[in-house]
Amino acid sequence: MQKISPKNIAEAVYEATEGKSTAEQELILKRTVHILQDKRLLGKSKYILEALQNIIDKKTNTVRLKVITAKILSKEDQAKIENETKIKYKGDKVISEFFVKGELLGGVRVEVGDEVLDTTYKNKLQKLEKFLIQSK
Amino acid sequence: MSNHIVENLRKEIEAFKIETKGELVGKVVEVFDGIAKCSGLSDVKSGEMVTFAGGETGVVLNLEEDTVGIIILSDFSKIKEGDEVKATDRILEVPVGEAQIGRVLNALGAPIDGKGDVKTSSAQPIEKVASGVVTRQGVDQPVATGIKAIDALIPIGRGQRELIIGDRQTGKTAIAIDTILNQKGQNMICVYVSIGQKDSKLRKLQTRLEEGGAMDYTIIVSAGSSEPAALSYIAPYTGVSIAEYFMDQGKDVLIIYDDLSKHAVAYREISLLLRRPPGREAYPGDVFYLHSRLLERACRKNEKYGGGSITTLPIIETQAGDISAYIPTNVISITDGQIFLETDLFYKGVRPAVNVGFSVSRVGSSAQIKAMKKVAGTLKLDLAQFRELEAFAQFGSDLDDATKAQLERGKRAVEVLKQPQYSPVVIERQVVTLYALTRGYMDDVPLNKIKEFESGLIEYAERNAKTFLSEVIEKKMWSDVGEEELKKAIADFKTNFLTL
Repeated sequence: MQKISPKNIAEAVYEATEGKSTAEQELILKRTVHILQDKRLLGKSKYILEALQNIIDKKTNTVRLKVITAKILSKEDQAKIENETKIKYKGDKVISEFFVKGELLGGVRVEVGDEVLDTTYKNKLQKLEKFLIQSK
Repeated sequence: MSNHIVENLRKEIEAFKIETKGELVGKVVEVFDGIAKCSGLSDVKSGEMVTFAGGETGVVLNLEEDTVGIIILSDFSKIKEGDEVKATDRILEVPVGEAQIGRVLNALGAPIDGKGDVKTSSAQPIEKVASGVVTRQGVDQPVATGIKAIDALIPIGRGQRELIIGDRQTGKTAIAIDTILNQKGQNMICVYVSIGQKDSKLRKLQTRLEEGGAMDYTIIVSAGSSEPAALSYIAPYTGVSIAEYFMDQGKDVLIIYDDLSKHAVAYREISLLLRRPPGREAYPGDVFYLHSRLLERACRKNEKYGGGSITTLPIIETQAGDISAYIPTNVISITDGQIFLETDLFYKGVRPAVNVGFSVSRVGSSAQIKAMKKVAGTLKLDLAQFRELEAFAQFGSDLDDATKAQLERGKRAVEVLKQPQYSPVVIERQVVTLYALTRGYMDDVPLNKIKEFESGLIEYAERNAKTFLSEVIEKKMWSDVGEEELKKAIADFKTNFLTL
């Protein structure tokens, strides 16, 4: 028998709940949890939820954005990044999270899915270090 | 002084430019036995190089629905779950260049001989599609191995793939080393790829090549037995990429894979760890393609495409002489012939222990020089008949004169083809010896004096049959005058030899 992947389960859950009332959705989700328990797949619930999130994002054309900076960004800058992302990924909605990490020294690191745009000073210094070692 | 250092550093920093672009990043989900399973990396290609957070390199081999399987090419003990993995958008490549000649490199092309950095200007991908039909031409130039049994009976041509197959301790590597040693002054670059061999064996081999002056035209690529299987897997591809660099410059290259059995075992290990389905002898389904795509890169290019060549001598180790096992049959079918070495012959003192009956060269005869063809033409048949008669002669005592003569000739042929290790013989000397043998001049020389006769004859011929030897060297064939001169020299020498 073919192995059931978290993606398969997430797709099944999405199809079963799509267009249903809240009460029906609740019932379906309860049944899903029971099935997962029976099939000993509860341990995979983290990956199932991730896969479900991806499916919903794809259907609703939502882009999830993660921005990490050394200092807190101003509201204008945050809006600017969100807007640019919306245009680049042709999304209807952008859900963004902003984090501050002092060790980056400066610049911005933008993550959308598995694509990363890293303009932080830390990354640049690491690249310079590698370049100087190689040229030596 | 310090100003100078600062100035240099400033210049280098000024030359450094950062290109800011989006990168494909994934996360390590699982690490075990040199394999990493990673999530993300959605657009990564098979065979693409990836770098881990600590600077380790890996190659993507498995593309699955949610994860990618990566083989790690360095120490994997520092890679942890959750670490970042970056795609590089480059297929794995190794540095190539003239500076690599005389050096010992690891599977990634980095020097391991302690002689400092290797300055190379270019890099080549390790996986490349073999040269097409349009660029190729037939094998028509010989590779002189210096081993009489091979040059006479199983000739190898430039661009050929000739398998060396045999059990352990039958002299497979010895043939390869002798061939490298004999390439001095033959306008050939040699690449020796050591796969899963002991470091002590590699060191011994390197010393032997250095002593013979062969490191001036040889590159050694090594993936030792203590290194990860991933390196054993890529080492032959690294070797052939280096060989292709020289071939593209119109040079002739000889590459030796020692050995492909261990290469197949390393690939089996990786495949099983990546959970690919096992097939016969637990090898994965694509083990034939593993070797066919490697050996197909051996070729002889035509003049329009530079005229270079890659001659390949893959080595396969059999278990108890079983040449019908999976890997031996695969490689036999891919190559253009095989040199079969036998344990029984080895312990009988026939060294190199080449079994002439099982050995074959499918394309080499067209590359053999005319003089050698003429003297060795009937030798293979004579030897085959001798083996058959020898078996029968054990049962009967009364043999007719013709059979007796054939047996005596056969015994002398076996004796002549024996050759100690590290003592390759140049082609014109081989021609003299085989001329004397096949024309019956050795028939009445006592069997235990054949070696003495042979060495004495060569010395004598070099003084008294100069025309014959120079014709063989320059025109690759003798004239009637040269032949008469040699006949006289052999007859004179024999008279002196037998009366002493």
